[in-house]
Amino acid sequence: MQPFQFSIDLPVLNHWRNVDLLLTSVQNCFVAVFADVDGCNAIAMVTGELVENAVKYGYWSGDDKHFRLRINGRRGAVTIQVENPVDPRNPQIQTLQAMLSWITEFPSTESAYRAKMLEIASRPGASSGFGLVRCAYEGSAVLRAELVEGNALRVVADMTF
Amino acid sequence: MNDLVAGDLTLAFNAGRADAIELTWLGRSNDRYPDKLLTPYWHTALAAAAERAIPIELHFQKLQHFNSSTITVIIQFIQEARRRGARLVLVYDQALKWQKLSFDAMRVFVKDELFQLRSV
Repeated sequence: MQPFQFSIDLPVLNHWRNVDLLLTSVQNCFVAVFADVDGCNAIAMVTGELVENAVKYGYWSGDDKHFRLRINGRRGAVTIQVENPVDPRNPQIQTLQAMLSWITEFPSTESAYRAKMLEIASRPGASSGFGLVRCAYEGSAVLRAELVEGNALRVVADMTF
Repeated sequence: MNDLVAGDLTLAFNAGRADAIELTWLGRSNDRYPDKLLTPYWHTALAAAAERAIPIELHFQKLQHFNSSTITVIIQFIQEARRRGARLVLVYDQALKWQKLSFDAMRVFVKDELFQLRSV
């Protein structure tokens, strides 16, 4: 296969049903390009978890009901970005970055994932952030979060497969 | 017991099994609030298992996808089954990498004969 690059950039309505539409679309697109079905499943899973978070935690009281999904990369590497509006008075960036830092405190993403599962088992309300830990573990994604112009939150997942 | 059909997800009850409450997960578990769908069904399954003194087997091999909210509900079900002294077996397909990763990690909950993970 010749070297190539790809890019997807979509504004998406914040409807819950769009989570699975995007997940399955991404999965089907990538399976059509790559032979690595496991890798495509991982890309789709990470996309789904990040999009779920955007729909759940986005600031949807303004006029704009869209979040933005960008996926770009080349053979063997992909970057997934999901950007949603946030309340400028409380953008939640510290909470998110604290969760990402918590993951890196463990010797492996697998041990972080197991620790999060045990936390959920002992405290049923402790599931916040589980999707991100799953992205890091199951998707082998390197995650970061950034505030964009003070009113949007962008979560970025870098993956290789 | 009956099947549970909720959106893209079906839990198919195998009425032909006398030695276990066998529930096969089919389709996709992508609901925003899967606990609202699944928890009442768990309670029915746990009651049926207790009445017949048999284990519950959850078969995931044919499931296409579950979100992290669904995994949370499964973890809580593992805990609830243990609290009630119910035997629970999760069966998954280790040839599917996403299933192997998800379920292998659940070995942190294997402490005794009440909870088992079985790969096929």
